Amino acid sequence: MSALLQRRPKADPVAAAPAARTKPSAGNQGAKRRENLAAYGFLAPWFVGLLFITAGPLLASLYFSFTDYNLIGEHSWVGLENYSRMLEDERLHNSLRVTFVYVFVSVPLQLALALALAMVLDRGVRGLPLYRSVYYLPSLLGGSVAIAILWRQVFGANGLINQVLGFFGIQGEGWVSHPDYALGTLIVLNVWTFGAPMVIFLAGLRQIPRMYYEAASVDGAGPLYKFWHITVPLLTPIIFFNLVLQIINAFQTFTQAFIVSGGTGGPSDSTMFYTLYLYQRGFGSFEMGYASAMAWLLLMIIGGFTAVNFLASKYWVFYGD
Amino acid sequence: MRANPGSGRPQARDLSSDGRLRRRPLLKIAAGVGAVVLAATACGGGSSSEDGVVELRFSWWGADDRHAVTQQVIEEFEAANPDIRIVGDYTDWSSYWDRLATSTAAGDAPDIITQEERYLREYGDRGALADLSQLDSLDLSKIDPLVAESGDMDGQTYGVATGVNAYTIMADTEAFEAAGVEMPDDDSWSWDDYVDLATEISETTDGEVVGTQSMAYNEAGFQIFARQKGESLYNEDGTLGYSQETLTEWFSITQRLLEAEAQPSASESVEIEALGPDGSVLATNSGAMAHFWTNQLGQQTETSGHEIELLRYPGESTEDRSGMYFKPAMFYSISAGSEHPEEAARFVDFLVNSNEAAELILADRGLPANIDVRGHIVSQLPEADARSAVFLSDIEGTIEDGNPPPPIGAGEVVNIIKRVSDEMGFGDLTPEEAAEQFTEEVEAATQGG
Repeated sequence: MSALLQRRPKADPVAAAPAARTKPSAGNQGAKRRENLAAYGFLAPWFVGLLFITAGPLLASLYFSFTDYNLIGEHSWVGLENYSRMLEDERLHNSLRVTFVYVFVSVPLQLALALALAMVLDRGVRGLPLYRSVYYLPSLLGGSVAIAILWRQVFGANGLINQVLGFFGIQGEGWVSHPDYALGTLIVLNVWTFGAPMVIFLAGLRQIPRMYYEAASVDGAGPLYKFWHITVPLLTPIIFFNLVLQIINAFQTFTQAFIVSGGTGGPSDSTMFYTLYLYQRGFGSFEMGYASAMAWLLLMIIGGFTAVNFLASKYWVFYGD
Repeated sequence: MRANPGSGRPQARDLSSDGRLRRRPLLKIAAGVGAVVLAATACGGGSSSEDGVVELRFSWWGADDRHAVTQQVIEEFEAANPDIRIVGDYTDWSSYWDRLATSTAAGDAPDIITQEERYLREYGDRGALADLSQLDSLDLSKIDPLVAESGDMDGQTYGVATGVNAYTIMADTEAFEAAGVEMPDDDSWSWDDYVDLATEISETTDGEVVGTQSMAYNEAGFQIFARQKGESLYNEDGTLGYSQETLTEWFSITQRLLEAEAQPSASESVEIEALGPDGSVLATNSGAMAHFWTNQLGQQTETSGHEIELLRYPGESTEDRSGMYFKPAMFYSISAGSEHPEEAARFVDFLVNSNEAAELILADRGLPANIDVRGHIVSQLPEADARSAVFLSDIEGTIEDGNPPPPIGAGEVVNIIKRVSDEMGFGDLTPEEAAEQFTEEVEAATQGG
């Protein structure tokens, strides 16, 4: 089995630098340069945007995080005061706790569901494009206001869920308006938007050469064995990609919590995501300096997670070389 | 932000049949590189256009009907003042404040700004608003004395009240009838009467009709309660003006109602609160009483389809003194950065002091603050608003004084009181602890004034 895996899969799902390529001879240097130029060309619009639209506000927010900027009046330099205040701010600690629970529960569940459905679809279902689109839809809509409002309705005291439960004689709670369950409904909402990672998994699964499975079958491997020893190892780059992306996304969740809780993060701060708290500080209490400092803390947290992810990837992500 | 992974690098070269490397023609990239045009939208507040007409921006929040009416008012004003053009800048309540804060921060505040008392000091104290008393074109002499000074701070007038309203209890007469319970006499009822009545309604209807909606989500109710005890939510200087006993007592009333199931459960209350006025127990015909501002009577009557009556607050005659007060429904303010403050003042004067504007706006921004104008339009009001007007003039004699503008940070109290009330409702806090936490958080938010 393992001998099989020493060989490169036919196509690398992730555009990692393929080491297995022959050194380009002088003759195709021009082609290489043209290729790079093309890449830069495609990157240019994004890069111009970064330079002119993102970089300025980014640096401004870094500067403001050291001031008591309140959006309206004068501001003065307060050094690290905003940062030291974060250590004492219990509501900020609570918002971190809520956000971490959300990330660590919803992302693994979402990816597991995405992979499971991708495997099913990969079997070759009739009407695959239709299923693919249907499952992908929630991802397109998941972050939208409309879906968040729908969620309120579905999980409300007299919502769809409780009507179904009532049918079986169970008296349901007002899920979104009870502090013990409100975060759960948002986790379910995030898991439900598994379409984007699913489509990516599906593409990855399609890249795995069938002959591996055939060879494994000849050796008498069962489906579980094939999954663990062929599918998972060859999918690790894709899993890694999805993991990094979904963690970053989950940390930045705002819209759903904002709408479902009516902008309050309630009941009693149970859905007070970090970004929502940041927003309340910045626009609710006009503490833009503090909010800027919070934003940089979030950047550090996400950066830290992404770095750890990349470092750890050396030990489990398999690029087939 | 979802990127697509490169699923397999496109092979730029592949082996042709004769085994030699063959180049595929690459895409020529020209478009898109320099084609990113950054359109910087510059909208200077109060620019004079070439034809000598002064252009002013006027911002307000509200729903569609208010936008339509305000647009008509602007047209009336422009017809009478051809040298001024007013550009409307409107949105809904929640995004209004984000937008105003950011545009003010950018030095691009609207010339005429609709304000609310919780935010007035936020802007006024930071020098974002002009002193209206210094502007000749605006006459402030006819404003109802009960709200005339509500926009004054530190000797400056940062806002003029658009109109007045009062915080009351609205009672659904049909719900009382269904429960077989007598309507209370609001000239003499006490807080105990209020609790007993609500409990009785819930019990006799077996919970079909709940006695009252939770009052714990709005600090206006506590303001009245504190005033009845001779205290107040805020002092002149912005510090807190009530005792812990008073606040504990106020939270205890809600606790008693919860225990007696005379108001919706904690999680139901959260839902009702999130739905806003459209989801109140009156609007959904599921309760008998709710706490609202008088200018919401029309909307509550309409959504419930029932006859809704306005009641004076409990305890008005049984506590130490009367606690009800007139609140300036909104304020018109002028940006300190406006290049044409006198022209802006002319427009505000038109909004506040002219019958033409009042005939269009009616009671939408509270019952007009200008007493003459109020008298002029009272007969033209829709039925519910007319009853509000009668109610306000009935209680006017009992009102002792107004309130100083809330301190900076008062806007946060909206969220603080919701959170504390929820925690008490779900049993995480006793009324005493709720009072402590509320005070602690409000002090932090308002920095003790």
